[in-house]
Amino acid sequence: MIHVTAAESDAVRAIEAEAISSRFARGWHCLGPAGTFKDGKPHTVNAFGQKLVVFTGEDGKTNVLDGYCRHMGGDLSQGTVKGNEIACPFHDWRWGGDGRCKKIPYSRRVPLRARTAAWPTMEQDRLLFVWNDPEGSKPPADVTIPVIEGASRDDWTDWRWTETVVHTNCREVIDNVVDMAHFFYIHNSFPTYFKNVFEGHVATQIMKGKSRPDARREGGGEGPRMLGNSSVASYHGPSFMIDELTYHYEGFDLRSVLINSHYPIDQNSFSLHSGIIVQHSDELPPEAAEATAEKLSSFILAGFEQDIEIWRNKTRIDNPLLCEEDGPVYQLRRWYEQFYVDVADIRPEMTDRFEFEIDTTRPVESWQKEVEENLARREGASA
Amino acid sequence: MTARQDERLLDGPLLPVRCRRCAAEVLVRKASWEQTSIQWNAAARASCVSLGDDPSGTCPALRSAIQEAALTGALRVAG
Ligand code: FES
Ligand SMILES: [Fe+2]
Repeated sequence: MIHVTAAESDAVRAIEAEAISSRFARGWHCLGPAGTFKDGKPHTVNAFGQKLVVFTGEDGKTNVLDGYCRHMGGDLSQGTVKGNEIACPFHDWRWGGDGRCKKIPYSRRVPLRARTAAWPTMEQDRLLFVWNDPEGSKPPADVTIPVIEGASRDDWTDWRWTETVVHTNCREVIDNVVDMAHFFYIHNSFPTYFKNVFEGHVATQIMKGKSRPDARREGGGEGPRMLGNSSVASYHGPSFMIDELTYHYEGFDLRSVLINSHYPIDQNSFSLHSGIIVQHSDELPPEAAEATAEKLSSFILAGFEQDIEIWRNKTRIDNPLLCEEDGPVYQLRRWYEQFYVDVADIRPEMTDRFEFEIDTTRPVESWQKEVEENLARREGASA
Repeated sequence: MTARQDERLLDGPLLPVRCRRCAAEVLVRKASWEQTSIQWNAAARASCVSLGDDPSGTCPALRSAIQEAALTGALRVAG
């Protein structure tokens, strides 16, 4: 029963937003396709409020170190890879992937304290991951990124990868996990089923949708008709989402895996990545699959642009006002907070399983009407 | 960060429902017949036997227990 006093219902609702924490999430973060960093050159990556240097030694191992040399502060990412070490451009001190200074060519001895910050790295499915941990602990064995089956199989396409810098705090992209309605209003999708499950370090969104005839672009009429899609998308930790996304066409299904990942640059910006692979099939031989992956990739990028345009203009809000047809924003943020506190301070409710299924009856009714009105208007205009 | 509550819970709280197959007790809220929130705790999660293969599914036994609670009125359905 709703007991709202007159004073309460008349009061203007205030938007609240606390200062953004200066801490960056604990967890595996993907820096992009591993191949990018294997060109024998050092790469500058701005992440976790710092400048990092990423380089691959002759041994093939990719390393991530703090970008600034402990000697006199030189920028290691402007240096040179020599053997398995990164050589500083300023005085040629050589730093190993473990963060230790291995050699100073002009000195007999390396000082005792010559150690810099090194980030644990992992290569999987041809992607490079870096482990961030404000407490400095090693990545636990049970907090992994699952292997993506299609990423190493011949009957799937290669990764199509995109990167975009977004100028807002990365909580905005996480909120998308529970935001069913924005898929209709921003992304031209039509959700018909929507459920979330949060448990441990995994947050999942299960969504089914049908295609929007009113959103189909002019001239896009050839080829098989798309009926809808089913998607199971999970964040494994704070930043890496794997979306098993199946498009249903008249007569066949197209299977794809979509990656939506990011790493924070600082409190007010992040690097947003998308990756996609598509499975070959009888209906979709290798060449057609590559073309489809290309098309989907630009489609996803366009979707990011739609989000970015909203984020560019919206305000941060800690107390969103929700209707019953909205998803569990508060419970998602409660889950997300586990990555921003010390491991010892993780409370059970942050990781306990929580399920939330939206009643889509009313949204579907209302969106169906809107689609029909759009179509009627379009017909009226072209008649 | 201050922990904030989903204010929708003020309009209808989470209520306990017990699964009849495994005796797990979870907290449930239904804003309508088709909407369901299920809050597990560690003890309930450990006792559920049906969540194995599909981690994003809902335990079928628990689902029917919730349905029954809603039908008998033990679980109030808002809306
Ligand atoms: S500052 Fe790097 S070698 Fe001197
Ligand atoms: Fe979005």
